[in-house]
Amino acid sequence: MSATCELQPKDYKSDLKPIWCPGCGDFSVVQGIYRALAAIGRPAHEIAFVSGIGCSSRIPGYTTAYGFNSVHGRSLPIAQGIKMANPDLLVLAAGGDGDGFSIGGGHIAHLIRRNMDITYLVMDNQIYGLTKGQLSPTSQKGRVTCTSKYGSLEEPVNPLLYVLAYGAGFVAQASPTDLVGMAAVIEEAIRYPGFAFVNIQSPCVTYGEEAQQIKGLKAIQESLASLGHDSTDRLAAMDLAQHYGRKMHLGVFYRNPEPPPTYGDLVRERQDLLSKDALPRERILDLFIKK
Amino acid sequence: MRKDLVFGMAGSGGDGIVSAGDSLLQAAAAEGYHGVMTKSFGSQIRGGESSCRVRISTTPILNPGGNLDVAVALNWEDFLKFGAELPVSGNTVVIYEAATNIKESEIPLVGVTPLQVIAVPIAAMAKETAGTERAKNTVVLGLIAGWFGIGAVAVMKGIRKKLAKKGEELVEANQRAFDAGRAFAMEHPLKASMNVLPSETKGAVKLITDGNDMCAAAAIFAGCQFFGGYPITPSTEIMQFFTEHVWRYGGSVLQAEDEIAGIGAAVGASFAGKKAMTATSGPGLSLKAEMMGLASIAELPLVIVDVQRGGPSTGLPTKTEQSDLFAAAFSAHGDVIRPVLAPTSVADTFRITVEAFNLAEYYQTPVIVLSDQEIASRKETLDPIDTSQFKILHRLRPAGADLQDYKRFKPTENHISPISHPGMLGGTYLASGIEHVESGAPTNSGSVHQRMNEKRTKKFDSLKERKDLFEVTGNPDAPIAMVAWGSVAGVCREALAMAQAEGLNVKLLVPYLLYPVAEGVYNDFFRSVQKGLVVEQTHLAQTYKLLRMHIDLPKGLKSLARSGANPFLPSEIVAALHLLLSELQRSHEGELQPQE
Amino acid sequence: MAIRGIDFANLSLMDALDLAILIEEEAEERYEEFAAQMDQHRTPVAAGFFRYMAGNESKHGLELSARRAQLFSDEPRTVSRAMIYDIEAPDYDAARAFMSPRKAMEAAMASEVKAHAFFVAALPALKNAEVRALFEELRDEEIEHQELVQAELAKLPPDSGLSDEDFVDEPAPQ
Repeated sequence: MSATCELQPKDYKSDLKPIWCPGCGDFSVVQGIYRALAAIGRPAHEIAFVSGIGCSSRIPGYTTAYGFNSVHGRSLPIAQGIKMANPDLLVLAAGGDGDGFSIGGGHIAHLIRRNMDITYLVMDNQIYGLTKGQLSPTSQKGRVTCTSKYGSLEEPVNPLLYVLAYGAGFVAQASPTDLVGMAAVIEEAIRYPGFAFVNIQSPCVTYGEEAQQIKGLKAIQESLASLGHDSTDRLAAMDLAQHYGRKMHLGVFYRNPEPPPTYGDLVRERQDLLSKDALPRERILDLFIKK
Repeated sequence: MRKDLVFGMAGSGGDGIVSAGDSLLQAAAAEGYHGVMTKSFGSQIRGGESSCRVRISTTPILNPGGNLDVAVALNWEDFLKFGAELPVSGNTVVIYEAATNIKESEIPLVGVTPLQVIAVPIAAMAKETAGTERAKNTVVLGLIAGWFGIGAVAVMKGIRKKLAKKGEELVEANQRAFDAGRAFAMEHPLKASMNVLPSETKGAVKLITDGNDMCAAAAIFAGCQFFGGYPITPSTEIMQFFTEHVWRYGGSVLQAEDEIAGIGAAVGASFAGKKAMTATSGPGLSLKAEMMGLASIAELPLVIVDVQRGGPSTGLPTKTEQSDLFAAAFSAHGDVIRPVLAPTSVADTFRITVEAFNLAEYYQTPVIVLSDQEIASRKETLDPIDTSQFKILHRLRPAGADLQDYKRFKPTENHISPISHPGMLGGTYLASGIEHVESGAPTNSGSVHQRMNEKRTKKFDSLKERKDLFEVTGNPDAPIAMVAWGSVAGVCREALAMAQAEGLNVKLLVPYLLYPVAEGVYNDFFRSVQKGLVVEQTHLAQTYKLLRMHIDLPKGLKSLARSGANPFLPSEIVAALHLLLSELQRSHEGELQPQE
Repeated sequence: MAIRGIDFANLSLMDALDLAILIEEEAEERYEEFAAQMDQHRTPVAAGFFRYMAGNESKHGLELSARRAQLFSDEPRTVSRAMIYDIEAPDYDAARAFMSPRKAMEAAMASEVKAHAFFVAALPALKNAEVRALFEELRDEEIEHQELVQAELAKLPPDSGLSDEDFVDEPAPQ
């Protein structure tokens, strides 16, 4: 790692102009990311930032890191391949609630059980904004959208409870209502040695409901620190996470006090062990010799 | 004395007939013979019908063989399930289990009178000598050693090695069963001796492996450091090989949660600068389509192995077919060229896999290796391969001036732009599935899209000039021709040799590069051709149609296509060629007759 | 508006000046961002106004910086941007697509009111007289800023009362 203390948030800002609607929560999320990255101080070229498809998935392009704006729902498999190919990189994944909990919903459980050192930021706006306001996996039951004309008949997914149940080592929630807190949580997530998940309640200004805009969020927000929550207590975290959708708890729900080895650690161990008796590459066919 | 024998054996999984085939192949290799073994199974995990074919020859083998010289049926019900996969002819010696209580004159083979039929009390001999009927397969090996002169010493040497850890008692039981089989054969000589000529290369080093292991080993040789995949028959052994070996080379492997994640991780690893691969079969190829499109537009090197099986959907998971050709060439939406290569044997799976990595790296593209169940799971004896003759290519990296104001998709003369990877100072860019300008920044512009489509397709123009990815055999000016690829190519090679021996003027084109279609190569080949066959194991004649889409085919070129799992026999192809010759002669006679 | 880890009772004059500079800096950056958003969404008048506001913030920031340099030379800063959020900068969700000049000015006005409230709220906790004097000065300046924005608002024709949203196209699906 070649850390340097000279890097500023603006050093992580690219020249691309965001296409987001003015008033979108993602404008502050990207600022939070710039700040967290500057605090950590890894040079941009040592960072790989992967996303899927959606408004929020445009975000890697707005940073100076190596970005990969891939296909819908698949940021996590790609991020894992990157991390396995080069464990020295700082790997971030980001996307929306549809990307992470609907079309790509099958991937997160497996990334969590592999415990790769990847930070996953979900910009949860409870709506499909890019395609003009359809029901999303985190939309509240009863929500009226253009694909639920008479109200949704489904319960929303609870992203926080989901990842806690899968055994994630770091789970937090942030919101543009508190950029400083968000930057701090993202920084802590990146620093956590293992998989880290941050759910960011980032309102959709165009299709979001009034209650889910900044003012509405402020009304239901509560900092976990102020509640005296012990972030090493996973069950307490799950208890609090049940309030998702009604309260907005900000801060760290759970941080494993004794982080287990990451997948990368285990891979390196295995490589070191087995490389000692490797046939040279050019003689690999000797494996097939029958005497 | 024979220089070549084809054995076909079938029983239920509990009969250990495939394991016997393995022992026979290894013994033959130890004695210096060339050998090929294919396996075929029913759909049960355990105890379903299973069969193998073993071909043993004093010269290199072109194809696992047509009609059987020797058929072994441990029970008829299982044997018959394989139908055309185990074809018995008038030249076949049929050996079967006497306990089936079927008279030699009443065996259930319709429309054919074998050369000789012998009922052998195989189970009884096993029980008597080894104390268990399970030793039937060893009795069969003894019979083969006695009647055909293969493995008299080497079979037991191999079995001894394999069972050494399990104790002397077991080895001795097998020895008694083997000896009993051999003694039975000696006491009941065949009507006409079918002993195989001794090998001339006894003691030479031979490799034995199957197409899947060869493919994985070739990938590691080519520098592949990441494999992401999901178990699917008949490709899984490729991933298994990686999980055992890739760590030794600083690489890693991910058994992903699904097919999409498998290829996704490989796309990620390639983006991160490493050579990466995934392998699958038909259903998995369908699932991976979107990611293949992503790799094409992001111009990321990637090798995708598709071990074909019968389709669509689950189809025939344990049987071979060539029907993924269209999917390999055309799946993933949008205008895209994705090279498709196909090996024709275990041996050339090495070269083709290395070539796939070279093309992927050079052209910065996903490349499909279209293997098939037969090549993937058949075992071949091979002469050692001199790996030093293979050149290994790496993607073009940006250097010096490129990194001043790095443009990932910079226009160049050959449309290939230097590619950076995370960790490289000065090389940061946005890779994306969305259309992008030269820097990588997203765009919606139609004119950029046109320009980038040109870049991404024109870069393959030079690939179509690669004549070394095609094999032409036979008389180059022949008026009659065959085109075949994959495992069917081997059958046609053998048919070519047979046809030439019968005086036919014929030639064969075997494309290793299936897509993009190299129009020039085909046009050259077809110049002399008046009649011919495109031979393939697809119901819809996909190869023939793919060629017709790109080339003005000779009028007399026909399709010889059939669904998978029904192998072609070299003899039937030769018969079809004779028919073409007579048509040709008739049409010439027609030309010569005076007009009235 | 949020603050974090500021000990108002023991705030030194240098730290107070630095905080003031950071507040101006944050506001300037935010107005620049808003201007860029308006450019991106073809709303040039609002963009121009936000740039004008960014210029004002920049000017104030420079004045404060000059004072700080004079008093404390290049003594290292001990406060940071992480301590303040949205003090004088307009909230991110104050921006809207196709903002009319009036809406843009109202957003700026709300920010100035917010900043004024910040200084008013902080005053009772301050113990250092110099810091108190500075905060009073800054509080009064916010009133001046409000007057500036008010003057701009006054130049506008009377509000038609029509909503912009009634005239623009529907969002385009991507």
